[in-house]
Amino acid sequence: MSVIAALLLIIPFLAGLASSAAPPRAGQALTAVTGVASFGLVLALIPDASQRAATYFGFIRVDALSVVFLLATSFLYATVAIYSIGYLRGGHGHDASARYTRRFSLGLNLFAWSMLAAPLMSNLALLWVAVEVTTVISALLVAIEGTDGAAEAAWKYILIASAGLSIALLGTIFMYYAGEQVLGPHYSMAFTPLLQSARHLAIVPVRIAFVLAVLGFGTKVGLFPVHTWLPDAHSEAPTPVSALLSGSLLAVSFYAILRYYQVAVAALGPRFPRDVLLVFGVATLLLAALYLLDQRDYKRLLAYSSMEHMGILAIGVSFGAPIALAGVLLHVLAHAAAKGNAFMGSGVLLRKFGSKRISSVRGGLDLLPWSGPLFLAAILALCAMPPFGIFRSEFEIVRGGLAADANVPAVILVVLVTVAFLGLTLATNRMMLSPPRHPPGQEADTALTRGEPSAWMVVPVAVGLVALLVLGLHPPGELTGLLARAVAQLGGTS
Amino acid sequence: MSAALPVPVIQLFQVLTIALGSPGISGVIAKVEARLQGRRGPHVLQPYYDLAKLFRKEALAPEGASWVFLAAPLAAFTCYLTVPLLIPVLTTYGLPLGYMGDILGGGFILSLASFLVAVAASDTSSPYAQLGASRAKTFSAITEPVVLFVVFTVGLITGTDLPYALAATVRSSASQIIRPAHALAAAALFMVILSETGRIPVETHTGTNEFGMIEEARPFEHSGPYFAWLRWGSAAKQLILYTILINVFLAPWGLAASTQAGAVLLAIVALLAKASALGVVVAVIDNSFAKLRLFKITEFVSAAFLLAVLGVFTLYLGGG
Amino acid sequence: MHLAQSLPTQAPGVFTGSANVIAVLILLAEFGMLRQALLRDHIRLYMAQSALIAVLAVVVAAARHIPDLYVLAALTVALKVIVIPLLLRRLLRETDPVDAPAGGADIAGSGGLGVASTVLLAIVVAAFGFFAASRLGIRNNAAPITALSVSIAVVLVAFVLMIHRRDVVSQAIGLFSLENGISLAALVVAASLPLILEVALLFDLLLAVVVFGLLIRMHHGRARSLSTADLTRLRG
Repeated sequence: MSVIAALLLIIPFLAGLASSAAPPRAGQALTAVTGVASFGLVLALIPDASQRAATYFGFIRVDALSVVFLLATSFLYATVAIYSIGYLRGGHGHDASARYTRRFSLGLNLFAWSMLAAPLMSNLALLWVAVEVTTVISALLVAIEGTDGAAEAAWKYILIASAGLSIALLGTIFMYYAGEQVLGPHYSMAFTPLLQSARHLAIVPVRIAFVLAVLGFGTKVGLFPVHTWLPDAHSEAPTPVSALLSGSLLAVSFYAILRYYQVAVAALGPRFPRDVLLVFGVATLLLAALYLLDQRDYKRLLAYSSMEHMGILAIGVSFGAPIALAGVLLHVLAHAAAKGNAFMGSGVLLRKFGSKRISSVRGGLDLLPWSGPLFLAAILALCAMPPFGIFRSEFEIVRGGLAADANVPAVILVVLVTVAFLGLTLATNRMMLSPPRHPPGQEADTALTRGEPSAWMVVPVAVGLVALLVLGLHPPGELTGLLARAVAQLGGTS
Repeated sequence: MSAALPVPVIQLFQVLTIALGSPGISGVIAKVEARLQGRRGPHVLQPYYDLAKLFRKEALAPEGASWVFLAAPLAAFTCYLTVPLLIPVLTTYGLPLGYMGDILGGGFILSLASFLVAVAASDTSSPYAQLGASRAKTFSAITEPVVLFVVFTVGLITGTDLPYALAATVRSSASQIIRPAHALAAAALFMVILSETGRIPVETHTGTNEFGMIEEARPFEHSGPYFAWLRWGSAAKQLILYTILINVFLAPWGLAASTQAGAVLLAIVALLAKASALGVVVAVIDNSFAKLRLFKITEFVSAAFLLAVLGVFTLYLGGG
Repeated sequence: MHLAQSLPTQAPGVFTGSANVIAVLILLAEFGMLRQALLRDHIRLYMAQSALIAVLAVVVAAARHIPDLYVLAALTVALKVIVIPLLLRRLLRETDPVDAPAGGADIAGSGGLGVASTVLLAIVVAAFGFFAASRLGIRNNAAPITALSVSIAVVLVAFVLMIHRRDVVSQAIGLFSLENGISLAALVVAASLPLILEVALLFDLLLAVVVFGLLIRMHHGRARSLSTADLTRLRG
């Protein structure tokens, strides 16, 4: 396993450097290969991680919880890398410039590398550093298109996210202080010793550390009230980057919160951490659901949907029952696949219709024989329709909530998810199911023709759909074993 | 030279030191400032000559001015000379009349004097004098909270607000001087003194800059001996404020611990020397900064307020 | 009244006193940033603040016998007093408006409130930070607890600074001074953090500064100014 972990850290980084120097086509191919290879490597980690947690080289740690998040990231890395081959081919016959392609490949690889590194870090301080690195790289990627909107979104993103991460750093420092009383000075903040001695940690510093970590890392997750950068950054970034941001980066930041949650539950007991997460989760879900009802830009729509799902994750963790926690982790995987699909489909829409506004898109199902139905399926998946994976995960979360006697929050969850469903389907209905618009008085051949912009942009979405079906209908046994082990970890054991 | 002086005489010496020494301090500041500007500057004793000249001159009063106009200068001067009875000017031990009032009482008397001068200025119905009076009152209103916080800080450190007790506590150990609350309170008080004595960055002391005048405009209409009383009074106020800063906050050494004549004489010399040193600092500041525009004086005062408030905070938290 | 019984008539020792003085000076530097209009002076205040952090690190290292902190102080000086201001000044030179005097003396964009009101607001915010931190019950700290209260106040005032200023460079420097505040907190509460982790944090800061520089250059390239007044396109 140590070899695999080391490879996971080294290969994407090298691929990034190589693709910035190589000719653009070769760089893109290299990116795609690296993505698929990373996904394969993570799959190879599953059997071992389901049995035990292991630390390698002093700073890498592989356990069930981290492998779940590695799965989410690497799956999107693979699909998005293939998708961007078609994305960078350009619409209307011309490719994006060589320089842009090289920069894009470099950024994509480094971004994926940083997101793969974060769950592999074995102590809390390095975890913070890894999340900060993801912020920095993704801010550059958000700005890569160079438009006014992109510049504004990137600035907002990096300022707010860095401020939030500074708060998280303060939380890390307080956690260090709490640990120092028990573990002695100069200890590295590794998980295992911290978890084992969690019972003896002083209460007040751990409480402060947890709240600051939720607020700080929650800035990157998109929790209310520090979510304000999210719609802008996710809508202004290029589509493959948006997919990675929504599907993986939010999840990795949530992973950081989960690590603090582990220590906090072990040190403080379950009540306080769960209450904190519940408050933030409900507020986030409420805000997202309301905003979803009134959107004009479909990428912003998807961004608010990401916020909604992060709120669901937080609420799910706050329920605390094992089945709810299993639902949360399954939700991470399913959301990554579904959101990735949705964004990739929106990229096709953007290429086809030339605008991000919902009102400009008409007749999606007619004009896009493959991407149309796939996009519709992705949206339905996001709305928790069976038989997709998100239905299963949300069902488990609600069931866990009812089992844990958290009836009111469970009901609130269902109500707000329904409101979000309303918002999403209203917009999608308008875009997909209405007949294509024929401007009056124009010849037929200036209207949009039926056809896909690129096959490269269809195949990854189809793969994602298959993954969603698998997760929803019959998750493989190894996966369930992995999730069970991760749930046990979240319950407080190492 | 070791005759023991009777205590009332020492108290009288306190008043005389302030009264007779204050024009000298003004002279020192003017001389140093001129030297820094590359000029020779007036003689250090020039203010004394000016006062003497003014006492010989004829006094005029505007039409319609009442007895307030004529009475105010002397009344203000009397107030200014009352304050040295209350604060530690020459001695470390309390003098008989020293318990008449605490530091808040001293502040009250200084405000009373300022009030009298302002009323006299308003009495003249001259535009410049009234301008100066109203501005002076406005700015002193916003500097009052700062002074109060400063007093609170030192009062909280020592548990009393009698100036002699404050000085004794500060003298007790060197670490009292470097504690942050003390340093902050001293800095805040220094900024207030700059404002009260009409120095840069609040006002230009030299020259007649009509649109910027605050303190300087108030004696505009007085002349002859009345003007002399006002000038003398403001010099006395300056030295009193310097004395409070030095003898309570910054450098309360050199004060006479006994009633020996030699010790008292040494104390007088020490006080004038320390005040001159502070005057040199003020002169350097005068030459280094520009006058603030009137609406920016609130920034200056808010900075002083910040320092005073931080002094109280660091005092409460962690024994700073 | 409860507070009257805990009057601190005893002066603190030399170490506590000087550590508190340095911490308060750091807070004053933060307040100074609220007032500074010129971006060049803003950078100088940041340099002064970082230098004070290094001095405090040396003081704590000497008093508490933590040799790692000497290295940290040296790295802080190298990075935050020399390298980062150099990068920022170079950035200012390159984004110099055509008609401004040479040297990149840009005026910072100011927000709605005047300086005095901002200072008063910041005092209230800092007061909250002070009194909140004092209730934490922290013991066994390397530097005095007042420094922790001051650090929370610095963080909160840095937030006020970032919210109030309307140009990108001031906002960026506000963020860096926020990080200074957190370094101060680390000196109080986590002084024995392993050196390798401290180095990682500093390196990470450098990376963030470089990226900030790139984004600011990009912003300037598009808008030809450093103001954020027109960043209002994305709403809802």
